[in-house]
Parts: sequence; C-alpha cells; structure tokens
Amino acid sequence: MQQKLMWIVWPAFLMAGVLELLVFAVVDPQDLHWFGQSFEMSRQTVYTLGFFVFWFVTALAGALTLFLSLPPNEVNQSPL
Amino acid sequence: MSDSKPTVLKNIPITVSKAPIEPPPGADAEMVSLYQAHKKIYPRSVSGLFSRWRWAVVFLTQIVFYGLPWLEWGQRQAVLFDLGARRFYIFGLVLYPQDFIYLTGLLVIAAYSLFLFTAVAGRLWCGYACPQTVYTEMFLWLEKLAEGDRSMRMRRDAAPWSLEKFARKAAKQAMWIALALWTGFTFVGYFTPIQLLATEFIEWNLGSWEIFWTFFYAFATYGNAGFMREQVCKYMCPYARFQSAMFDKDTLIVTYDKERGEPRGARSKKADLSTLNLGACVNCSLCVQVCPTGIDIRDGLQYECIGCGACADVCDTVMDKVGYPRGLVKYTTEHALEQKWSKAQTIRHIFRPRVLIYTAILAVVVGAMAVSLALRIPFKVDVVRDRGSLARIAEGGKIENVFRIQVMNATEATQTFRISVDGLPDLKVASEQEFSIDSTQARWVPVRLQLPYEGAPAGSHTIHFRIEAPGLDQSVTEKAVFIVPR
Repeated sequence: MQQKLMWIVWPAFLMAGVLELLVFAVVDPQDLHWFGQSFEMSRQTVYTLGFFVFWFVTALAGALTLFLSLPPNEVNQSPL
Repeated sequence: MSDSKPTVLKNIPITVSKAPIEPPPGADAEMVSLYQAHKKIYPRSVSGLFSRWRWAVVFLTQIVFYGLPWLEWGQRQAVLFDLGARRFYIFGLVLYPQDFIYLTGLLVIAAYSLFLFTAVAGRLWCGYACPQTVYTEMFLWLEKLAEGDRSMRMRRDAAPWSLEKFARKAAKQAMWIALALWTGFTFVGYFTPIQLLATEFIEWNLGSWEIFWTFFYAFATYGNAGFMREQVCKYMCPYARFQSAMFDKDTLIVTYDKERGEPRGARSKKADLSTLNLGACVNCSLCVQVCPTGIDIRDGLQYECIGCGACADVCDTVMDKVGYPRGLVKYTTEHALEQKWSKAQTIRHIFRPRVLIYTAILAVVVGAMAVSLALRIPFKVDVVRDRGSLARIAEGGKIENVFRIQVMNATEATQTFRISVDGLPDLKVASEQEFSIDSTQARWVPVRLQLPYEGAPAGSHTIHFRIEAPGLDQSVTEKAVFIVPR
C-alpha cells in the first residue's frame, strides 16, 4: 500500500513542478481574480498554494490510473 | 519478421530480477519501509582514472554552485532569480517572464545534450554530474572520514553500541547536517540576495519562506545523499528507466570482458595462467564491493548501472597486482568488445547518424539562442486597448481612442521612452509622449490618440505604435487598432 502511495505521489510531485513552471512563467499571480475579486495574497503564497493544487490534481490522475489498471479479479476480491 | 532474418536476433545480457515484485501476503504489516526492502550498501572507496574524473567534476560543479551566489555584478548579486518580483538577473542580463523562450531554449539544449552524451558515452550524467551522484560522493567521503572504509563500517554497524561507535556516528551526522544546511542555504541564496540572507542567518532573523526552503532543501540533500543514495537512481529516477532508448551497440558503456574473464576463480599468485583452466577474473569481488548501486557488472549491462566506472577502476588495480593486462572491466562499446576493435576503430564509430543528428540539432538550437540573445532588445512593450471605451469624441470634435501601453525596462539604468504612432494621416498622440522608467521596472502608460473629425472612414483601422528608446538607440513597433465610430 505504501509502495503504491509512492507510485502515485512521486511522479505527481515531479509533474506538479513542471506545471508550476509552465503556468507561473505565463501567469502573474497579481493579475489573478477570484470571482471578480483580486487576490489578497503575496506572489509567494500563490506560488506555494498553486504547487499543492497541481500536486493534488496530478496525484489524483495517477491514483485513477492505478485504480483503473487493477485486473478484474483484484477488483472483485477487493472490499474497496 | 523473425523468419526472414533470424540471425540478427541476439541474446543481450540483461539480468532480469527473479524476485517477486509484490511482497508475500502477510509480510505487508511488518514492512514499514517506504522503499523496496533492500540490503544496505556499503560502497568501498576507490581510486583510479574514473574516480579522479568524478572528483574533478564534483569540485567544478560545487565551486560553481556554492560560489556563484556570492559573486557581485555592479551593485547587485550576479545571478539572482527574484521570484517575488518576477525578474531573473544573470550577469548583465535581466530577464522578464516574457523571456520564457530562453528558458525553453535552455531546457531543449539540456535535453539534447543529455541525448548526445548518452548516445556517445552512456550515462555520463549519472556517473559524474548528477547532483545525486555528486552529493552522495561528498557524503560518502565524510562518512569515510568519520567511520572508516567499507569493512570498518560494516563491522561497526554489526557490533553493539559503544562510546566509540556513538562518537563516530555523531561526528558523521554533524558533518552531514552541516554540509546539508550549507547546501540549503546556498540554494535559497539564488532566490534571495545571499549577503542579506547571511546576515539574517547570523542574527537568526529569517523570513518564513527562507527558513522553510533552507531546511527543506537541506533535508532533501541529507536524505538523498546520506540515506536513499542508489535507491533514488533505482526507483525514483525516470531517466534511469528510459536511458537505454538512447543506447546502441556503439555506445560506450562499462563492460566486463566475459570472454577474457571466464571461467572466473581464485588462484595462487605463482600459478601460470596458461596451465590453469581459468580466465583472467580472479573473483576477488571488489567490483561488487565498490559498486554504489550494489550490482555485479559481470552479469552484464543492467539498468541499475549508473556508469560511474568504479568497478573498472578497482579491477585495473587488481589486474596490476596479479600482473595481468588492464581492462578486464573497461569502458568500451558492445561492438568493440564483440569484434575486438582497436581504440581508433571504436572512436571512428562514434560518428554515426544518430550522434550527428543530435549534434546538428544541438548546434542549431545553441546558435539560434545565441543570435536571439545578441539581438535582444532590452525593453518590452505591450499594447492594450482601454477597456472602458472603444472610441469617444474629445474637445474640438476629435475622435479619441485610449490605450494602455506597458513598457518594461530590462536594463539597469533609467531610460527615456518616446511614443509615436502612424497608420492614419493626422493621427496624433494627445497624451504625454515622453516618459522615463527606472531600471528594471515596468510601467503602464495611458496613451490617448486623436484623429480630426472625418479624418478616416468609420470602422477599424490598423495603426502602429512606435516606442523609441533614444538612450538605447533602439525601437519597438507594435500593432493596434484605431476605431472610428459611425
């Protein structure tokens, strides 16, 4: 289980780094608006929060991949 | 396809692990390690040609890494990535986010260099320049300083705790932590002016970001180089998994000369090799002991092999001792070994289509980047229409369009800029035409354009703004649209 967790989390970490670079190279956090209101956060805060959001979503993709690649008999036997 | 040319299929000596991938049922609960259960590797230190090269690269890269942030350029740090202000300073160059293309270029260059070096000489990056290797080498050196070489470390680890064991382990930890912290501090010094950081560090007055990143990077260095070591290469590094795609049979790799070495076996020093039914390998197992990833090079090419050449170094010393020619484990290509090529023949085979194509692409990208950097205009302009109104009637019945022009001064001096416009006869800039911007600053300038009444038919007209910087003797032209209402 812990090994599978690492399979999900580690590649997601790498790709979150790539996303962070791509997105914030183009987007200045100070230009962002949140439902019409401007952010009251420093750039560093947005960079950090952005990284965790990217990490979480990329990890979800990895988790889904792992979940959908389960062979049928494992799905049938799994209580989950 | 197999029945037409069966002879091309050859057995490539790659060992496949026969160990089960999943732990046996029931074993899960006991295993708390995050990583695959493994034996601790105690790499024996080694000296020789490849080891000297590695240390040379360690010194070179680390002098640059630890030294560069302390270098001054004019009034500021020579290399500083100011993320908060979104400016990168690299010696005389000030880069904005708009210069992202250079970063892309740099990444393309890095990727093709990696392809090229790998195709020519295998995992040069892994064996010599990768931070994982470099810091592991430094941490191993500190470990040897405190705890001695492989056999002493193994004996001490097996022995019960004593005062001496504790003292030596504590000394090692202290040195590791100090080096790791210095590394973390230097890393942060690339993003925050390091002289300021140093005074803050001494007064223990660091900001929360600085504390977090210093300790995070220090912790990562300590964990990666002190504990995880070869496991990073074996389980975490994507490059290790796909590097073989860049290999072919003319790629230089660390190889064991099986034909010469086998059958391996111990022998007496005085024995004559020709009378024994033995190959040159004396089975001393030193090549396994020095291996940082704990493999046996005699089993053939394996993905765990980082190409560090430690086994080749140590085998040469053994061959010298027993009086056999060197090169039982050597840096050569599969073809060269198979067909017993001379050095010159091996070198000739470096220049093959794959290598030439990588080199050509690399040369083009480097050239394009150099030209683009040389011709770079050190200020940038963005033209945006004012969102409030498309067009309006100003005093005297003139038709007015309002724009906002962002000018970014990427030089380190205050610059004066002059705006002019053309595209329609009698179109004039009614607002301030000259303004100045401080060094490395950006400013939004409102610009009003006025056209006499009936100066142009109704509709949109393409116009061009021209922003001149007399101090730089350069100008930028930007397209925009002037709207004449009905």
